[in-house]
Amino acid sequence: MIFAWMVLLTALSVGFVVFPLLRGRKVPLAGLDSTPAVLLDQLDEVQCDLDRRVISKSEAAAAQQEIKRRILAAARRSTTGQIAENTGGRGALVLAAFFVPLMAVGYYAFMGSPEISSLAYADRQAERAEQQKITELTDKLYARLTSEPNGGASEGWMLLGQTYYRMGEYSQAAAAFETVTSRDDASSATFSMLAEALVSSEQGIVTPKAETAIDRAIELDPSNPAGAFYKSMAMAQKGEEAAAHALLLSQLDAADGFAPWMEAFIAQANQIARTLGRDQIALADYAPMAGGGAGPTAEDVAAAGNMSDEDRGEFIRSMVNRLAEKLEDKPDDLDGWLRLANAYTVLGEKPNAVSAYERALILLSDIAPDDPRHQVVEQALSELR
Amino acid sequence: MTPEIGHFALALAFALALIQSIIPIVGANRGKLLWMHSARATSIGQLVLVGIAFGALMRSFVTSDFTVVNVASNSHSLKPMLYKIAGTWGSHEGSLLLWVLILTLFGAAVSLFGSNIPDSLKARTLAVQAWISTGFLSFMLFTSNPFTRVFPPPADGNDLNPLLQDVGLALHPPFLYLGYVGFSIVFSFAVAALLEGKVDAAWARWVRPWTLTAWMCLTAGIVLGSWWAYYELGWGGWWFWDPVENVSFMPWLLGTALLHSAIVTEKRDAFKSWTILLAILTFSLSLLGTFVVRSGLLTSVHAFAVDPERGLYILFLLALSIGGSLALYAWRAPMMESGGIFKPISREAGLLINNLILVAATGTVLFGTLYPLFLEAVTGEKISVGAPFFNASFIPMMLPLVLFMGVGPFLSWKRADLAGVLQRVRYVALASVIAFLVIWYLQEGGPLLAHLSILLAIWLLFATLREWAMRIRLFDVPFSEALRRARNLPRASHGMTLAHAGLAVAMFGFIGSSAWKVEEVVFVAPGSTIEIAGFEVIFEGVERVRGPNYFADRGTLDVFRNGENITTLFPERRYYPIAESSTTESAIRSTLAGDLYASIAEPASKDAELSGAWTLRILYEPFVNFIWLGSTFLILGGALSLSDRRLRVGAPKRTRAIPSRTAPAE
Repeated sequence: MIFAWMVLLTALSVGFVVFPLLRGRKVPLAGLDSTPAVLLDQLDEVQCDLDRRVISKSEAAAAQQEIKRRILAAARRSTTGQIAENTGGRGALVLAAFFVPLMAVGYYAFMGSPEISSLAYADRQAERAEQQKITELTDKLYARLTSEPNGGASEGWMLLGQTYYRMGEYSQAAAAFETVTSRDDASSATFSMLAEALVSSEQGIVTPKAETAIDRAIELDPSNPAGAFYKSMAMAQKGEEAAAHALLLSQLDAADGFAPWMEAFIAQANQIARTLGRDQIALADYAPMAGGGAGPTAEDVAAAGNMSDEDRGEFIRSMVNRLAEKLEDKPDDLDGWLRLANAYTVLGEKPNAVSAYERALILLSDIAPDDPRHQVVEQALSELR
Repeated sequence: MTPEIGHFALALAFALALIQSIIPIVGANRGKLLWMHSARATSIGQLVLVGIAFGALMRSFVTSDFTVVNVASNSHSLKPMLYKIAGTWGSHEGSLLLWVLILTLFGAAVSLFGSNIPDSLKARTLAVQAWISTGFLSFMLFTSNPFTRVFPPPADGNDLNPLLQDVGLALHPPFLYLGYVGFSIVFSFAVAALLEGKVDAAWARWVRPWTLTAWMCLTAGIVLGSWWAYYELGWGGWWFWDPVENVSFMPWLLGTALLHSAIVTEKRDAFKSWTILLAILTFSLSLLGTFVVRSGLLTSVHAFAVDPERGLYILFLLALSIGGSLALYAWRAPMMESGGIFKPISREAGLLINNLILVAATGTVLFGTLYPLFLEAVTGEKISVGAPFFNASFIPMMLPLVLFMGVGPFLSWKRADLAGVLQRVRYVALASVIAFLVIWYLQEGGPLLAHLSILLAIWLLFATLREWAMRIRLFDVPFSEALRRARNLPRASHGMTLAHAGLAVAMFGFIGSSAWKVEEVVFVAPGSTIEIAGFEVIFEGVERVRGPNYFADRGTLDVFRNGENITTLFPERRYYPIAESSTTESAIRSTLAGDLYASIAEPASKDAELSGAWTLRILYEPFVNFIWLGSTFLILGGALSLSDRRLRVGAPKRTRAIPSRTAPAE
């Protein structure tokens, strides 16, 4: 429908450009020089003024003399200063007409959002009802948790905090997470979620309180990506951009294969890199299975960012399958097998991972024993078996 | 879908603007008629497309489509419908869209109604107009897109500023923009004339209706804004010399000079440089106004530095258009042949003084407006230049202008007979002095400047009426004959009389409400009595009332004069819970003699609140309504002048000129 409108509007615009061509071969006459007409009119006015006795006879005579002189001058100019007029140049208008859709569609392809439909407030009853239901459920959960004698289950508080966070009630989310952080079953995730809620409630500023939570999250689990992410944010805000950048890169280096958090890291690292004047990095550098000819394109990666968890899992699955198919056709690609094995490991498919490493092992037998890849495969196999 | 149609239409309008920027002007240079004519259709096309975009945005506001970021941040589902619609131009992006809509409106109007304008001048004018719309469309599309989308949309909109929910304010920007942007077409005419190298009587006549239209709209816009500030802000002031006001006032001052200068160019083939320069400067100041208001420069120089993208883009546009046009002026203006010569005592000389004073006054306002901004940018020091500066510099500069305004219309072109003129105005001068002395006697006290200004205002009014009477030979011939003459007088002539008299009337308002204003700010408890300007006001107390989306503390004031209860005033302090903000609704007893103006504010302290005491601001502003009355005269004068047949059709047809010249003498 939107595209029908776009075609219609484009046709209309093209029509406006080629309109002079549509009027056939006859081109209207050029407008005549109307200066003498204006001057003649002024002669009338002088006469009227004289009749009204606003000006004297001698004044009127002088004014009339002058206007007549100017009429003569204007007449002389219009006969000598005539430009040769021609009616050619139809091609240029046709060319310009082509430019209209080119320009507009070109712009719109980048800047438009045809996929988002209009949504009038009145048509959003269902959404508001849903919102209302969530609010009610949240209120109920809150009431139940606070009424329980043991202070409510930690899982309940975490759920409540996450719900508040999704609703955009960041300070309430932080309060819910905080209830859990003082307990023994507080995990690294508890602290990183608290940090996230605190940072969001301050519009992206890492407060000292948030930083304490971040440090605690890292202390409990150094590999928690959320901990490292917010740590780098805190560092960058304190002016330690270089350290923040290094931290993000080290986490990316340490990662095995693609993980959903990597995009956020790369975006953050690139943003900091711009202030430092360092090189930009890409996801393909760090997600090994994303490399090679069968890797995801930039569009795939961007698409993955917008996906739900379920869709993203499926997306990764399809990438892995594509790589596996490619290796069946070209089984001599040692690095390819290593990437595939790595991917299976991330997906938790041990038997597939083991068989992929075994294929790699066969290829490795032709390679010098001091190649580091020997060690990688042996270590991985020993962990998996 | 609607917002996307609008977005796409805007992109198409941009494409048309680019085409119209190039083809017609190249056509004019090469004498290709087809290319010149292409501007006619494309300028209408631009209007249609930008109109579609504007309609799409308005529809999004009306239906509260919060998938449009602009709607989400500037509207709310609970806003009354009128303010949802007004919200379309309430934001930065929306007001730019309105700006461009009006720009294209004027372009299309020239295309449709300018049938008497020669092809080459029209093609060049429309091309220059397209340069401006290219600049602003690209600014909008690349930095301030009104159609940016968000999904999922927020649950409801953000803005419900009750202060801005007002009819006066809803209508103020469109009129102001019609004026601001209306001068764009005059600018385009001026640049086109420079490119063409020809400025003559005909050119001046084609430009005049556009100048008048823009000037009238700007006047209306400024007056509406002033009126809104008067009754809504609760201070009883109608002009604050605030930068936002000044940037609209400067184009008005220069536009007024332009209006008069163009007459000299038309009638005497003189002042060509003046007229062209004023046309360029007037629109440049409109652009400057847009820049100053829209770049965030006013809120703080630092706010501008934080988000410089928009400000820099518009600064670039500003430098390009002002710098480019002035450079063109410097290059081409000296080549223009000079027109008729005139003596020091002549109408031309009078209008030259008019130009000089208005330009100097504009310079003063410009300095007072920009100096604090420069100072803050350079030294970081924050100062405010307010009423004292402008009262001391601007007003003394304008008073001589009023003196000359009275005499000017009596002067004839080229060489005026001073003795004759003085003879005609001597009774006017005498009558003015007598009227002035009567007023002085009745209204003793007040600053000397105020008395002097009153004298000049009376002089202007009487002199203007005398000049009109002279034209129709009132009292000189039988009344019916005078009436016939009045009917035959060109409408432009009536328009001048009305506008000049309007200024005199408005001056009574300016002076009366500033110099003889009485103001009391008192703490009042129920039963308190205040005496002000001959009124006795009894404060009866405050009650809580509920409105549709607010609740209010409504005060009740019984007003007595000479022991007689003449009216009851209900000033309110409203609180809007959703927007969490308060507004003052003043109560005004309005008469032509003056306004009794009351507003209440929160109790001074907790103790005071318990005892029922409130802060009451009560003012008496003599003659304040003369401001609106006089301004209406100004606008009507412009309208009358615009309706003059000779201007409406531009150049007259030859056929009409002949019979009227052979008509018997009156």
